[in-house]
Amino acid sequence: MRRGIGPFLPLGVLLALLAAMGAVEPSFLSLDNFSLLVGESSVILLLATGQTLVLLLGGIDLSMAALAALVSVLIALALPTMGAGAVVGALALSTLLGAVQGVLHARAQLPSVVVTLAGLGLWSGIALAIAHSTIPISAGYFAIGWLEGSSFGVPHAFAFAAAALGVLAALMHWLPLGRMVYAIGLNPKVAILSGIRVGRVKILAFAVSGLFSGLAGMAMAARTYSGNPSIVDSLLLPSITAVLIGGTAMTGGVGGFARTLVGVLTVTVLRIGIAAIGIDPAYEPIVYGVLAIAAVALSADRSAIFVLK
Amino acid sequence: MRQTVLRVERVSKSFGGTRALDDVSIEIRAREVVGLVGANGAGKSTLLKTLCGLCQPDSGRIVLRDKVLGLKGIADAANAGIGMVFQELSLLPNLSVAENILLGHEGAALRCGFYDWKALRALAAAQLRKLGSSISPSARTGSLSFAERQMIELARVLAIEERAQNEPVILLDEPTSMLDAAHIEAVLAQIENLRERSSVLFVTHRLDEALRVCDRIYVLSDGRCVAQRGRKDFSIADLQQHMLGRELGVACPAQARPARQAESRLSVRALCCGNSYRGISFDLSDGEILGIAGVAGSGRESLCRALFGIEQPDSGEIVLDGQPVQLGEPADAVRLGIGYVPADRDAEGIVAGLGILENMTLAHLGGLCRGPFLDRAREKALVEGWIAQLRIAPGAAQTPARHLSGGNQQKIVLAKWLVAGSPKILILDHPLRGLDVGAKMDITRLIRELAQSGIGILLIADTYDELTALSDRIIVMKDGVVSGHFPAGGTKPSELQILECMV
Repeated sequence: MRRGIGPFLPLGVLLALLAAMGAVEPSFLSLDNFSLLVGESSVILLLATGQTLVLLLGGIDLSMAALAALVSVLIALALPTMGAGAVVGALALSTLLGAVQGVLHARAQLPSVVVTLAGLGLWSGIALAIAHSTIPISAGYFAIGWLEGSSFGVPHAFAFAAAALGVLAALMHWLPLGRMVYAIGLNPKVAILSGIRVGRVKILAFAVSGLFSGLAGMAMAARTYSGNPSIVDSLLLPSITAVLIGGTAMTGGVGGFARTLVGVLTVTVLRIGIAAIGIDPAYEPIVYGVLAIAAVALSADRSAIFVLK
Repeated sequence: MRQTVLRVERVSKSFGGTRALDDVSIEIRAREVVGLVGANGAGKSTLLKTLCGLCQPDSGRIVLRDKVLGLKGIADAANAGIGMVFQELSLLPNLSVAENILLGHEGAALRCGFYDWKALRALAAAQLRKLGSSISPSARTGSLSFAERQMIELARVLAIEERAQNEPVILLDEPTSMLDAAHIEAVLAQIENLRERSSVLFVTHRLDEALRVCDRIYVLSDGRCVAQRGRKDFSIADLQQHMLGRELGVACPAQARPARQAESRLSVRALCCGNSYRGISFDLSDGEILGIAGVAGSGRESLCRALFGIEQPDSGEIVLDGQPVQLGEPADAVRLGIGYVPADRDAEGIVAGLGILENMTLAHLGGLCRGPFLDRAREKALVEGWIAQLRIAPGAAQTPARHLSGGNQQKIVLAKWLVAGSPKILILDHPLRGLDVGAKMDITRLIRELAQSGIGILLIADTYDELTALSDRIIVMKDGVVSGHFPAGGTKPSELQILECMV
């Protein structure tokens, strides 16, 4: 029986999309354009990476984009006075806040969708309270400026995001933690009865997603030269959709990080393609919604879910 | 000869590469109890699912009273007059008994979408009367015992009588496998009762039961119908031979074992937990198998869960190797060298979506590391060694666990605790449940070998045979307290002696 979307379907879809875009607009397939394409995708890639870990565990993190927004605001505010220390501090904070969400989920037994929904409200609310509108970075930009620009045709931001994804994927493969995450995602009861401290694994996973939220906020601040508290709206949906169309299952235990990379590139191609064709960007969320449903429909291991709730 | 009611004609069904049913033909006549026996994986469940509409055969047909059936689901089957009593039951615990009995087929008790509660209860009471049961139609299903719920499941199936014009065909999927001795008698009596008003297809693992109530018995083996026996030809040895294709001695031969003088490994002192159990005290030595007998509700399952840290007792002491221990969660118990094999293998024993390798090493990931990293080469070698030693088939380490038979899955669950090196204590909760004869022998042998290697074993077993064949000592629990103790070295207690302590 089929377990999730085969690894090559999302890749095939991506290549088909690229071919279609190239057919409509040949200049789309130039190296410059690819460079632009992957540069655009770095923020969503960072969010999607953290999200993948949480989804594999069988949970979901709705607060990631909000936490990223908060971090971007904090960085923009603190860079002039603290320089690189602002970045370190903000990342530490986002990791801590992620861990707090993890503790509420694991120890207080609150479903992750509830905890992170509350987080979504809290962190974006705090961000808006601190910064009523976009805060330009007045000084100290050098601390994150290395993320902009490109070398050998590869944008630094993308290289950084891909490296972060690679590191996490490697750790998941080589550490026993990776095996535990998949087991918990597929059958938490068996994991508990096998002596795995599921609570600790969950807290760690949410701390990591907090860290990646922070990294995304940092990348965003670098790209826009400012801190933006309301960026949540345009990042939450595409980042989750990207993970789903890559083939990581909503139900947990199935999928991985390479798939997420494919999913993010696909979403980015769509974004750029939609703008290039001339469709109003306001319709983007519709596309993400349809894609997410299609992806989940294709990937859901229905033999395991007898009845859907 | 009575007329044929239901005929299965050359039905075949494959799942992926596996041929679950191969050209199977059976027939059920009016007012007859037909037995269906066979090892696990022989195709009994698949045949039942085909008969009640849960799956469609690839070829062949099902003919009910000379009409070919095309069943798309359980409702179709019920409307045609075929009802199934599921092994794990299919009742909704949050609804009342009456609602469960008539769910989907309320008839006159449902007017314009509203329940007529009085009529509903009356209809339900009528079904319960057919069984001679005194359960109240207003009782909340979740509050009843397993045996009572099974009675309601039967009543639900009998409700088909009112809907179909003819006598129903009732499919019973291992109705006795989860019951204790007292209730098994009640179920067998009900089957005799059912014979008066329906035809019954009785699927069971227990050949003695089949021989008692059935008029004819079919034997399935590897998806094929290999034998059919009428009453005058019944013999357990003959049936076993067909099920396995070979001669068998007694399924679980008892072994005389000398009383051990080893030191006590695990001591339980005055353990109490609310209403589940009170004042439980016993010792378990190295290499000893302690069997715990008791009916459902006696507290033995709760006690074992507390000894693995799944539940917490209110008071009392658990002493391991002379040190009192606190088991806040199963991870604590695992660290101390205690292993647990759950009764519900599918939900709590294996991760179906992972392979043999991942399942087997799940409890010992920390020990298979070089530094912080997983030593995959060592892991693979270790797992392959155990696969060979336990004869797990198919033997590729990456085979998904869901493709294995129940017996092989159970071997993986046991191996999980052995992979780490010897655990000190193993708690086995119904380790032979749902396994066929061959698998039972394999697992029994394995359990004995484990005890011989020095592991202390706590055993909750399904039947008297299994309990006495495996255990060195037996304690009996009743209503939360220890009501009987049969020490090692003496003669084995009789079934009656144990039963007397249990009820």
